[in-house]
Amino acid sequence: MATTSDSGEIEGFGQVSRTVGTVFRYLLLAATMFGIVMLGVLLLYVANDAIRPLTADPGWYLVFLLALVVPSAAVGWTVRRRDSEAFNFGTLLVGMLVVSLMFSGGVALLVIDVVPPLVALAYAIGIAVPVGLSVLLTGQAHRISFTPRLAATTALFYLSLFGLPGPVGGALGVPQVVPSLVGAIQSIPVIPVDWMMIAAVVGGGSAAAVGAYAAGIGDRTTGLYAATAAFAATLVAGALGPAVGLGAVPAVVVTAVAFVPTGAYAWRGGFAEEGSPLGLVFAATVVGGALVGALAVDALGFAGPASWVDWGFLTSAHSGTAENAGLYPAIGGSILLMATVAALSFPLGVGAAVYLEEYAPDNALTRFVDVNISNLAGVPSVVYGLLGLGVFVTYLGQSAGTVLVGGATLALLILPIVIISSREAIRSVPSDMRQASYGMGATRWQTVKNVVLPEAFPGILTGTILALGRAIGETAPLIMIGAPNVVFNLPDTLGSKVSAMPLQVYAWSGLFASEDFYTKAVPAGVVVLLAVLLAMNSVAIVLRNKFERTG
Amino acid sequence: MSEQNRDEQRTGDAGSPDPTDDEMLIQTDVSESVERTGASFDRDTVVSARDINVWYGDDQALQNISMDIPEKSVTAMVGPSGCGKSTFLRCINRMNDLIDSARVEGDLYLRGKNVYDDDVDPVALRRRVGMVFQKPNPFPKSIRENVTYGLKIQDKGGDYDEIVEESLKRAALWEEVKDQLDESGLELSGGQQQRLCIARAIAPDPEVLLMDEPASALDPVATSQIEDLIEELAQEYTVVIVTHNMQQAARISDQTAVFLTGGELVEFDDTQKIFENPESQRVEDYITGKFG
Repeated sequence: MATTSDSGEIEGFGQVSRTVGTVFRYLLLAATMFGIVMLGVLLLYVANDAIRPLTADPGWYLVFLLALVVPSAAVGWTVRRRDSEAFNFGTLLVGMLVVSLMFSGGVALLVIDVVPPLVALAYAIGIAVPVGLSVLLTGQAHRISFTPRLAATTALFYLSLFGLPGPVGGALGVPQVVPSLVGAIQSIPVIPVDWMMIAAVVGGGSAAAVGAYAAGIGDRTTGLYAATAAFAATLVAGALGPAVGLGAVPAVVVTAVAFVPTGAYAWRGGFAEEGSPLGLVFAATVVGGALVGALAVDALGFAGPASWVDWGFLTSAHSGTAENAGLYPAIGGSILLMATVAALSFPLGVGAAVYLEEYAPDNALTRFVDVNISNLAGVPSVVYGLLGLGVFVTYLGQSAGTVLVGGATLALLILPIVIISSREAIRSVPSDMRQASYGMGATRWQTVKNVVLPEAFPGILTGTILALGRAIGETAPLIMIGAPNVVFNLPDTLGSKVSAMPLQVYAWSGLFASEDFYTKAVPAGVVVLLAVLLAMNSVAIVLRNKFERTG
Repeated sequence: MSEQNRDEQRTGDAGSPDPTDDEMLIQTDVSESVERTGASFDRDTVVSARDINVWYGDDQALQNISMDIPEKSVTAMVGPSGCGKSTFLRCINRMNDLIDSARVEGDLYLRGKNVYDDDVDPVALRRRVGMVFQKPNPFPKSIRENVTYGLKIQDKGGDYDEIVEESLKRAALWEEVKDQLDESGLELSGGQQQRLCIARAIAPDPEVLLMDEPASALDPVATSQIEDLIEELAQEYTVVIVTHNMQQAARISDQTAVFLTGGELVEFDDTQKIFENPESQRVEDYITGKFG
């Protein structure tokens, strides 16, 4: 209340009570923090059980404190004060190195234990050649019209993958005349060394990606140099790998999947336009500190924490004793399941989203589908498991618990989520751009292909990865379709029995219920599962940030 | 410009040309003048509307619009907000088809061909009628790809580099962007983006260029650049521009059509006449700022 003096001047404005508002605000804060704190406490508890930080020597902590924590904090603080952009870049670089090392583990698992190198090479060439040729054809788009180009591209892929007459001829009883490119490569008499084939497949892929990335920043020549340098680095790693005791194949995979992309990113952030070497300094301090620390504790003989998550846990199969039990087949199973799920749910989900957003007329049927997709997203996963069991196993006669059945069931489970998030991404493309395209005389298909999908793609990808993160943690559907609790070998075909990380953890906690498994294998499994999940989500977050910055 | 009212009777559909001949460029008798707007011009007619009515759901946006738009000149449409001038513009290239609730009745001839005939593919129509929108809307692609977009989707051949240079020069943007053709069109300023959109619209060489308040989102300097550009373009293209800026219409247009609330075309004549000596009292009131 304003108090006014006799002369009309205001002496003060008084106070308005905010007690209720303040109470409300802190109640909201409590509500926000409730779940996060609960989960945080649980995770700390599990991580403590799995990694057992208290078993380490105090000297071990001291060494890492001196080598890693103190210098990183000091350099990080200085860099951040000078140039916060460079600090963010450095943090991202370190994160990228860690995540890409994890991914290289996954890739190594695939190319070493699942797909024989020669088959991988054959398919890589068999797909790369027609892709290259069709890119050349697309470059001639203004001379050759769309239909012949589509026909030629289809023919190229068919020839390369199946030969003549291929499965079509096989169905009609015509014998194979011309072998496919894939078949021809696999039947060559002289087989190159494993690591060279893997270098060609993985290194070639990563060199192409790095080249495209560099060409996006600089020009074509830069891209070509970058790709050549990346491929050369992979080859050098393969040749030098055995000399440092790493083995040629792991050296090739780690270089191609982790070091080369991280290096390309570091080059851009450190030396290319608008980059700052300060961020590199910070990243180098962290990585260097970790390496120096590791070497120092080794030399000084300080024991690290006796963690249950160790190399043995990651690379061995289940065993009768908790100490020897490992997660390897389950990790591989999860990776293969995710690949199958992605291959099935991405085209189906994005296709449905594009139809519903761009083509579907606004009528009762569309609204019905609309409402029910949202409902499907809420159906419990155990029901999807039952659906998978009923449709794929009982009705279609697939054998229970295979990669294909598990992948298809999980794909059904996340399909509504993929559709919903893809629709969201497509809807966020400004209608101005669609109008511009239609105004130029583009057909609906040309507008979708040239304007809507490229613009919505990062959003679609983010949504799909987050949905995959849901699928990777699902246990109930896998139990329903009869996935075995324990698998001792990696599945190597779509028809092999598969286990998955959450299923293995569940098996340890239930079927092999003993104090040992509760306290050792289960927390270790949970930590690995969460780490994989976190890696996937971080990729999604980085994609989303990139999207927001450019958009 | 000739001012005579020819006052001919409309001959109706009998006068429309052979509907299968989409390429027909010969002038036909749809160019006859319309009594209520009282105007006819000494240039050949390109776009000719006859009794166009548009509804959005139950709301009528345009009422019986009839007008003849002459070629290679700037025709401005002015009027208060919601008077249907943009709606009419979108009738010319059938962009209203994209709005579910919109319903168009009447005939609209482009070079003698009724674009609302059943055999007209609106996509093919839009390839001959370029459009520039109110808000600059370049694609998030490189400047070069923006300009060649129309050529690519139309499977048109030709020397793309030359067409890019030519279109950007016509859009008065070449000097500013010739060294950054591979950079994103979104990195340009608002005025540059709008000129890029104009370059994109004229690259496939349309017959008519529609502009829906092309300068309303721009600052005065960019606006004056766009205005100069429109006058240049009118030497080669038939430009139809919607604007709510009276001065702009007076500066750049050869003919002006005044739409007033309720979706009626009140007067259509030479710009000079509209601004100096309009026949309708309502138009005079609107132009002098008494309402609207």
